[in-house]
Amino acid sequence: MVARKKRSSKGDKGTRGGGGETSLGIDRTKIRLAVFAVLLIAAFVALYSRLWFLQVLAADDYRTQARENRVRRVETEPPRGRILDRNRVVLVDNSFERTVTIDRQVVDDDQAKRTLRWLARPEPRGAGLETSYKELYENLNDAAASPYKPVPVANNINATQANVIRESANMYPGVDVDYLPMRKYPQGGIAPHILGYVGEIGEDELKDDFFKGSNAGDVIGKAGIERTYDRYLRGTPGLEKVVVDAAGEVVGEPLLTREEEAGSDLILSIDSEIQRLAQKSLKSGIRAARRAAYQAPAGAVVVMDPTNGQVIAMASFPTYSPSLLADGFSTKDARKLGVPTETGDDDAQVNRVIAAQRQPGSTFKVVTAGAALANDLISATSQVPCPGRTEYPPEDPFATVFHNWTRADLGLMGVPESLQVSCNTFYYELGWRLETSYGPPKSAGGDGTEEFQRYERLAGFGNPTGIDLPYELGGRVPDEKWCLEAQEETENTQYPLCEQGWLPGYTVNMAIGQGDLIVTPLQMAVTYAAIANGGTVWEPRVAMAVAKDELDDGTVTTSKQKGKAGARTIEGGLQGEDIVTSIEAKPAGELPLDDVELAAIRQGLELVVASPGGTANPAFSGFPLDKFPVAGKTGTAQLGGTKLNDAWFISYGPSNNPKYVIAVYLEKAGHGGESAAPVARQIWEGIAGVDKKTEVSLAEDDSR
Amino acid sequence: MGMQGVFGGAVDRIGGEPITARMARKAPIRHLDPMLMMITLLLTTFGAVMIFSATSSNQEFLGSDPAFFMKRQIIYAFVGAFALAGLALFDYRHLRAFAPIIYGVALLTLVLVLTPLGDVRNNTKSWFDFGAFQIQPSEFAKIAVILAIATYLAERKGDVRAIDVAIAVGIGGAAAGLIFIEPDLGGTLVVVAVLAVMLLVGGAKIRHFAALGFLGAVLVVFSLQAGLIKDYQIERITAFLDTSPDVQTSGYTLVQAKIAIASGGMDGKGLGTENTQTDLRFVPEQHTDFIFTAVGEQLGFVGSAALLGLFAILIWRALRIAAMSRDLFGTLVAAGIAAMWGFQLFVNVGMTMGIMPITGLPLPFVSFGGSGLLTNFLAVGLLLNVHMRRLI
Repeated sequence: MVARKKRSSKGDKGTRGGGGETSLGIDRTKIRLAVFAVLLIAAFVALYSRLWFLQVLAADDYRTQARENRVRRVETEPPRGRILDRNRVVLVDNSFERTVTIDRQVVDDDQAKRTLRWLARPEPRGAGLETSYKELYENLNDAAASPYKPVPVANNINATQANVIRESANMYPGVDVDYLPMRKYPQGGIAPHILGYVGEIGEDELKDDFFKGSNAGDVIGKAGIERTYDRYLRGTPGLEKVVVDAAGEVVGEPLLTREEEAGSDLILSIDSEIQRLAQKSLKSGIRAARRAAYQAPAGAVVVMDPTNGQVIAMASFPTYSPSLLADGFSTKDARKLGVPTETGDDDAQVNRVIAAQRQPGSTFKVVTAGAALANDLISATSQVPCPGRTEYPPEDPFATVFHNWTRADLGLMGVPESLQVSCNTFYYELGWRLETSYGPPKSAGGDGTEEFQRYERLAGFGNPTGIDLPYELGGRVPDEKWCLEAQEETENTQYPLCEQGWLPGYTVNMAIGQGDLIVTPLQMAVTYAAIANGGTVWEPRVAMAVAKDELDDGTVTTSKQKGKAGARTIEGGLQGEDIVTSIEAKPAGELPLDDVELAAIRQGLELVVASPGGTANPAFSGFPLDKFPVAGKTGTAQLGGTKLNDAWFISYGPSNNPKYVIAVYLEKAGHGGESAAPVARQIWEGIAGVDKKTEVSLAEDDSR
Repeated sequence: MGMQGVFGGAVDRIGGEPITARMARKAPIRHLDPMLMMITLLLTTFGAVMIFSATSSNQEFLGSDPAFFMKRQIIYAFVGAFALAGLALFDYRHLRAFAPIIYGVALLTLVLVLTPLGDVRNNTKSWFDFGAFQIQPSEFAKIAVILAIATYLAERKGDVRAIDVAIAVGIGGAAAGLIFIEPDLGGTLVVVAVLAVMLLVGGAKIRHFAALGFLGAVLVVFSLQAGLIKDYQIERITAFLDTSPDVQTSGYTLVQAKIAIASGGMDGKGLGTENTQTDLRFVPEQHTDFIFTAVGEQLGFVGSAALLGLFAILIWRALRIAAMSRDLFGTLVAAGIAAMWGFQLFVNVGMTMGIMPITGLPLPFVSFGGSGLLTNFLAVGLLLNVHMRRLI
């Protein structure tokens, strides 16, 4: 201010010659230069401070960013192996579908939302996908999706949509259309419960030892055979760690490489013809039962080969189409299949062959007979009375009364007849004898060796059979140990179990397949297979072999190429089959019964179907038993406290040389001979080649 | 003492010393600024090395000569050295007479470059393409503007009226406007900065700056409203204020530049190291405007700080010359040059580190580019010129 005043008071420049060079002028200029110098110093201070901050204080963070910038993991998904039936009919194949993907490494959330909105908006202002914005967003943020791979958000888009999306890629970075392998089911809705489905690995599965070595984003088998044989089907993903430049172009040699190897094919022992028949018959049987005013919410059928333990067919109702779960969007699974109600009896994903645990009713009598025979409580020719009612303990004023299904006294009978007419009192007697001999001493004076339960476990009950399917349940063989544990656990609850400790009545009831005994349909099939095959209790198998499909030139074809060969012939299945591993059922045990004893039981089972008094005879009326003899046993399991029954029918045939065992179970669907046996008959007709009826109709059966 | 013979033994009695000896002592050639020359050589060499480092791997990748850009820069430096020497020999005070002509030619080239004669590159019409080489007239225009403003303000002898400020602004503004139309925002701002510093040193008053500041603000608002500033320029300018820049667009260059510099750390990754931000071309324009990122990544804090130190000495020499100048013209020329270098350095290095907006500005002497290097050599020539004639 002072300087300015001085200067302006000096008046005009003209009076001073060489103003710039007067001492005052130079001083002024130097002051002005000093101001400029100060500005420059400030600029340098700013530059040096920033440089120090970036290169010394924040260097580590930025080093990491620099590394992430340039090293990229590139994973390739190998084609998953196919699944074929025993005749090499392709059940599960791969198809490559146009899939919209979004690379989360490239876009942030806001940008992604913008892109998804555009994808969902109809043309011409958007890409016109059929999928809603909400669904796309859910798919993008699926917790199971890999952070290293573009996330698929919509499948099966058409070529026009794909073009629109590709052309707009510069406006919507990170979005792309890719051909991704998708599970395909050429046989339609066949065997969803066996096949299972695939999807990206979930958090829990990542921790599971079963999937050791898997990484986030891997596609794994989630259920069924896809899960059990995941390691064969999956193959090895190719992996490259590469250095990329700014344009995303790979620079130089990869730092790490692993070759991609296609998954192996899996051949099942399933016969898709019989499988289809089993599913159709089960559905038809359920429908018939519902027409007869039964609830019949669920059911299961399993067809097994008793000679080798192979599963030929396996049907569970309610069912679903496997293609519903083929796209691998895990968040949508539940929604697509519908949420099961509280009782869970409408849960379509449950494979009831291995996971329904129900009382077997009279079908269990073969086991009781076996236990009594094995322990010499009766012989193959023994006669036991079959009165209308019995009391245990006998001649005790406080005895419990047990009724047969008829009041008539049917007199003395042997094992075969007891099965033929399904005499309850006959088996109550066997149960009583087993209890008094081997039950807990406190109960009826047995020696506590629980030989009955031991036999049951030997015959395949109380533990999972060990079939090659996940989530199998083992049922329950009640014994004193279980009783005491249950007592403790359920004390003071609404439904206390075993309140008074083990009672003789438990064994008596168990003898006819009631009480706390629960079994799975597969266990029933296994135990009947043992009776049919001379005593071998199998650990069943659904898979038969792991195979590589090699063409003449030795190259392994990709599933993409194979996709076209969907023919139902051997040639169409595997062109140059090369079995890598054969999978065989293992014998889990042997029934301790001799041929005579087994023959007695088998004779009874034949009579059930063939003789006029047999409980399944009405259901097989008109069936050419002379040409294709079938043996079996009905079961009607009373559900405690209700008038509802589970219907069972386990059979094998041809009974002179058994090739198949069929176990049928219908929940809350009346009597075994009435509703379950007709389902089996339908399947037997198909197997025997006498396909007459096309719909199951209920038969007569008033046994219990 | 052989000198005495040459000048015939004539002696200035007053000074007690022979005139010839005094003249010889004051001879311009004896008053060069060796430090300024040394710094110029060091910076240019430094630049050539960094240009090689930033371009060689990509050149190799393309199957071209890895040293192509470095060789060209060295050729430019030799041309510049001759221009420097030529300009230094010609007494700068005579340039006052030529200043209007030089300025006129500069404006003409700036107009011509906007015509179809000019070549469009990177969306900017700022080049003349002569096949073997290209010329960017806006670079040379900076020198012309410095000379013109210095000539005019030196006439005012430190007493500057509003009309003088207006004329000086007119001189600078005409060039700045033409450069702005190309559009070259960085070049425009350099001219504006040079103008401001020369007004400061030349004697403009605080009220003049207040008025100019107000007019400038109005002009900026008007430019934004009228859409004279391109969207990409706004995006680039504002990107540095964005703390979470969109990785894919405007912030990309900035993010990659910062990563490159910071990942260099204290010692740097070393020249020619593979798989660096530089090697993988994550930073665009790295041999030109973003050359400092290559310095930061490869030479670390040590190298970057040393480079900034060289610039500090360079600008200090320019300021020293401005202060030592025999006349106001020389002072203004030197100050203008110091402003040109200082502003370019601050904005260029600042933008790579995220403290200044991204405007296309080369780093003097270091960035690849013939016109820029030649202009800077001419500026050194002018400084030497003022320095060596400070006594006569």
